[in-house]
Amino acid sequence: MQVKIVIGTVAFMMTMMLFGYAALREPARLERFAAADLGRNIEKGAELYVNNCATCHGAAGDALDCFNAAGEPIACIGLPLKDEYLLCGEPSNRLIDQDYKFTVRDYIYGTIYAGRIGTQMPTWSAELGGPMEGYEIENVTQFVLNWRPELCTTEGPPPYEWPLTVTELLAAEGVTTPGDATRGAELYDRTYACTSCHGNPAQAGSARVGPWLGDLAARGGSIVDGYAAADYLYESVLAPNAHIAAECPTGPCGMPSGMPGNFGTRIRDPQSMIDLMTFILGNNLETTGVEIEYTRR
Amino acid sequence: MATFIEQVQEMGLKQATIAKADEVVERITAGMNINDIRAALRGDEPRRPNPRLRPHADGFWLHIRPSFYHTEVTHIYPTFRLGWLSTWLFVWETITGIFLMIFYTPSPVAAYQDIWNILGNVPLGQLMRNLHRFGAEVMVLVVALHMLRTFITGSYKKPRQFTWATGMILLVLTLMLSFSGYLLPWDQLGYWALTVFLSATEAHPGPEFIGRNVGLLLAGAPQVGAGGLLRWYLLHVLVMPLLLAIFFFVHYYKVVLHGHSLPPGREEIGEDTAKRVPKEERTYFIPDILTSELMWTALATLILVAVPLFGLYNAPLESHANPLVTPLHVVAPWYLAWSQGWLKLADKTFIAFVLIPGLLVAFTVMPYIEVGKSRRYIDRRLGLSVSMAFIVIMLISNWMGSPEYLVASSPDQEVFQEILPQEGHSVLKEVPYSELRPGVYLPGQALPDRYHLTHALHELEGAIFTHGCFMEGKGKPNPLHLPACRPVIQDDGSIKYRTYYTRDAMPNPEFQLIIRQFQANMMELIITAKVEDPNRPGEFLINSQTVGYRHQDSNYEED
Ligand code: HEC
Ligand code: HEC
Ligand code: HEM
Repeated sequence: MQVKIVIGTVAFMMTMMLFGYAALREPARLERFAAADLGRNIEKGAELYVNNCATCHGAAGDALDCFNAAGEPIACIGLPLKDEYLLCGEPSNRLIDQDYKFTVRDYIYGTIYAGRIGTQMPTWSAELGGPMEGYEIENVTQFVLNWRPELCTTEGPPPYEWPLTVTELLAAEGVTTPGDATRGAELYDRTYACTSCHGNPAQAGSARVGPWLGDLAARGGSIVDGYAAADYLYESVLAPNAHIAAECPTGPCGMPSGMPGNFGTRIRDPQSMIDLMTFILGNNLETTGVEIEYTRR
Repeated sequence: MATFIEQVQEMGLKQATIAKADEVVERITAGMNINDIRAALRGDEPRRPNPRLRPHADGFWLHIRPSFYHTEVTHIYPTFRLGWLSTWLFVWETITGIFLMIFYTPSPVAAYQDIWNILGNVPLGQLMRNLHRFGAEVMVLVVALHMLRTFITGSYKKPRQFTWATGMILLVLTLMLSFSGYLLPWDQLGYWALTVFLSATEAHPGPEFIGRNVGLLLAGAPQVGAGGLLRWYLLHVLVMPLLLAIFFFVHYYKVVLHGHSLPPGREEIGEDTAKRVPKEERTYFIPDILTSELMWTALATLILVAVPLFGLYNAPLESHANPLVTPLHVVAPWYLAWSQGWLKLADKTFIAFVLIPGLLVAFTVMPYIEVGKSRRYIDRRLGLSVSMAFIVIMLISNWMGSPEYLVASSPDQEVFQEILPQEGHSVLKEVPYSELRPGVYLPGQALPDRYHLTHALHELEGAIFTHGCFMEGKGKPNPLHLPACRPVIQDDGSIKYRTYYTRDAMPNPEFQLIIRQFQANMMELIITAKVEDPNRPGEFLINSQTVGYRHQDSNYEED
């Protein structure tokens, strides 16, 4: 019997020591598992993104290469998500431009959750009739935020320093004027997806979010005092909030502008800007030489 | 009796305190004072009247335990302590279960994240979860072994038939207790196991409204959802444990009433002397049985803690339950896998509503029908052989329940499933992130310094080997040394290729593993499968791929 007491006591003490050992290694283990939780959520988010979002926001999130179900390339109608304008900084510049008071995570989660009325961004939450449960929206959100490490630490080439007048723009080094309207159309349709908000300039009434630009050449010179159409267009692209248009397809345009404020960094060279302007306004890029309201970031 | 103050005045503080302590101990033990306990632990003879019998007579905890056993039943044989171990496992599950309950909410919006919170945020949470899940599986095993031993020693025979019958109830409750916990993490594993289980109600042979309403009652809605989770939670933490406790006491009362059966050879045939224990063959509960039970409890607990702690058991956790995505293989837990095996062979209605209930009833009434008088092994050769055959059948059925037997999906999907399944263990995802570098890899390729990836590619080769075959004369090499294809023309005129391993093999399959950087800290893993039709060159029988993602921190290594 004494032997049993000894064995039992030793076994009990060893069990307690095992718990002690487990407790010692616990802090490191907890950290690994918390990270694993997030990591796996991001993996699920990647799956959801590829299956649901890539058609509009691009396979790589930069809204540059989109494919339809048959695998054919199509225009990306969504905004880029792998974008320092949206993701970097708390609040990021996108949030500042939108006058949004919460975090980047909330901004992304909220946009996916509810979609965006009047745009092609669909509603995803099952609570609003969409296909995704809350945890799935959280997973995609974490996936989008996971572009931060590569985006927000590395310094890309510095953005082009836009001059403040169209005169200087047209005189920039190495540009040809007027621009190439065909390339401008490509930029308008695909690269920057102006189409998804402003519609096709050749077809009145095709705009969904921002004003139709087919008649901008005619009316652009009479919107802001002292601006020619080219000055107004140049400013609208670089600084949407400087002057807000009166009428949008869904009613009066409000402040802040629904147009992203980062084309100044997304458009990387003056020739692209001129091509785009040529496509919208035609070969006549007349300017009054006025200084636009634009502050570089 | 004198008050403490008076005692102090009479004996002095020290003596009075000792006397008081003695009194308190005697009250708590319902009859044994400090000296009695020390004497018992030393193994001395008890004083007269024997104080070691009083806890049985006056105490709550021991009133259900006999005050002495027949010495013959106190050795490891014949009980193997399995009944006691079942009891302890139930207590153990209650303790670890309460710990988990503190951090768990039975709601689809919270449950899954709660489990991750237990794993990644609650100190010792992962250990507790593993202890609870491991304990549950061990309990099923131990109860089954206990049943086996009472069968083998013929202890179910008269007068213990009713003990056996209540034991059958305990067996079913133990299985249901284990299974009802399966759903609670709200992951794909439990969700689909339960959904498949509940689909049996649709196969109900009676009027349609019965099956429908029983199904509704158990699922809470046409599909398992918030209501279903809450119901199974309540079954798991309330109803099942309560029923088990109740029937445990019935069971145990009968055991005490009839006494533990002696080893079969010890008595005359047809006699039951368990209750007539001669003085010299008694072993008293205090101290011998008590210390021995405590020792076994301590040893069992040590194993229950050590196995999960050293990674020999890990509770699975798949991804969040999703009613819209059925995993390729829905597998029942091993203790129910036999039923899945049977379902592959016979009609659902027959299995779920005739065979299984029939077997349960047959087992329960068996002692009343099998009335052979002798408990001796030599006289029960037929019965013992049948029981062994039954065990073998159950093991084979369990294997048949696994996806290895009668697979339904296509061979390329099976290969994907073995290497990079949507759910469950994946050799590829378990490769440490540092070994996953962008590139194109071939099955069986060996990579210097990348031991785990080499291993995964080796497994891929093995999977292709069982699901692929080699066609001579197509001008292709056979680097994987696949077995030769044996074409078999199907009823619809198409051709399937057989090998020794499978009826549906891929001729000259070409597999690749492509690893791509997807985000700065995440890889995209793609396995592609291409199988050209041997009879129509340029056309593909199979041209498919599966994709998985591996984040740097996902830590599948520790799964
Ligand atoms: C049918 C096309 C389409 C699909 C599919 C789509 N989006 Fe969008 N998304 C858009 C458009 C268009 C916008 C711009 C809305 C606007 O004009 O403000 C947008 C905007 C967003 C924004 C806000 C970006 C910003 O800077 O304001 C986020 C975040 C976003 N989408 C995430 C997603 C995610 C995640 C998915 C997949 C679950 C998804 N989207 C699927 C079209 C789509
Ligand atoms: C996410 C939607 C969206 C995208 C993409 C977008 N815009 Fe806009 N845009 C708007 C909205 C909303 C307005 C109206 C509010 C304002 O004036 O800022 C607007 C206004 C304008 C205006 C002023 C129109 C007027 O009638 O006053 C011009 C010019 C313009 N955008 C050009 C462009 C160009 C060029 C692109 C592509 C490089 C583009 N936009 C991309 C939403 C968008
Ligand atoms: C939760 C499940 C169970 C518990 C906790 C339990 C507990 C016990 C205990 C403590 C004993 C005392 C003797 C011993 O340790 O063997 C016992 C005896 C017995 N049990 Fe169980 N039991 C369970 C399930 C079963 C099952 C499934 C069966 C068979 C169908 C069964 C049949 C018996 C019989 C026949 C005896 C009498 C053995 C004898 O007298 O030698 N029990 N049980």
